[in-house]
Amino acid sequence: MRLSVAEAFQRYGDRLFAAAFSICRNQMDADDAVQDALIKYHTLGLDYTDETHIKAWLLRVAINCAKNISASFWRKNTVAWEEYMDELAFEAPEDNRLFEAVMRLPQKYRVVIHLFYYEEYSIREIAEILRCREGTVKSQLSRGRKLLKKMLMEEWNDDE
Amino acid sequence: MTNKQRYQRAFSTLHASDDHVMEVSAMKSAGKIRFNKLAAVCAALILVLGLATVAYAADVGGIQRSIQLWIHGDQTDAILEVESGHYSLTYEDAAGNVSHQSGGGVAFNPDGTERPATEEELLEELNSPDVVYEENGTVWVYYCNQKIEITDKFDDQGVCYVQLKDGEGVLYMTIKNQNGYSTSRHSYPTPESFN
Repeated sequence: MRLSVAEAFQRYGDRLFAAAFSICRNQMDADDAVQDALIKYHTLGLDYTDETHIKAWLLRVAINCAKNISASFWRKNTVAWEEYMDELAFEAPEDNRLFEAVMRLPQKYRVVIHLFYYEEYSIREIAEILRCREGTVKSQLSRGRKLLKKMLMEEWNDDE
Repeated sequence: MTNKQRYQRAFSTLHASDDHVMEVSAMKSAGKIRFNKLAAVCAALILVLGLATVAYAADVGGIQRSIQLWIHGDQTDAILEVESGHYSLTYEDAAGNVSHQSGGGVAFNPDGTERPATEEELLEELNSPDVVYEENGTVWVYYCNQKIEITDKFDDQGVCYVQLKDGEGVLYMTIKNQNGYSTSRHSYPTPESFN
């Protein structure tokens, strides 16, 4: 099955942006990663088994594009994530603190944490998306959680 | 509230810009995104080839072989060496001078990761049309054995449209004066779609 570019963006645009932002920590770079992913989606014209497949494929491509952008020499990165945070309308002050704590994590932990807590993927699914071993995901998730607990203390539960 | 619920609430404040999907949709409707996987590779190559130096790496350990290449309308024997997405080319030009050229490029896998361009992809790029601005002010398009003067063919906006024919059919070419060109097998790329 396939969705049009507009449909794919409508359903997954914000998710792709959030995943890319967890890599880039920059609005413009994350938007570029989303656009690159949509262009690849359109140009490659692949056939997908279902919407879950489309979502996972787009997330993987957006994450890879975000990594490429972050590593590129001419990376824009004109606005720091701290400044961009001021534009975001968080529902509660603790959301602001959680967002900031996640942004302070190393990149490899951020993306795993994001896919687990935001996208609710299992460790196996995250390993498939990131093309790495389940053991690596498990250890990065564990280290990321520990760092979040250290930064957020009682605001971060030990529920997983 | 669980960590997942808290995390999802915090990160649901992030929203992608609508402009980007509008751009992709606009390109789609205008037929600007016409590349298949290989053509997309070439799009990436053009950028790198434009920066290619004329230095020749005599021995980089790659596979060296003789090829025939159309250079400025002449079918020319050349020595091509390819190593990890980089190539070096040596040939004798029409005046009998030995010329060297090198460059390289990357291609994108379906999952968005990069890989070095293959020899076939580099050759495809080397055989693409060439626009030459001569010192006497004339402008020429070279493609295989075709040589077309387009000096007076630019419109008021400095854009020229050319059809090139080869064994695969028609290649539509849009050229911006002193500002690059783009090609498509389906229709003329709009000037806004490149550079």
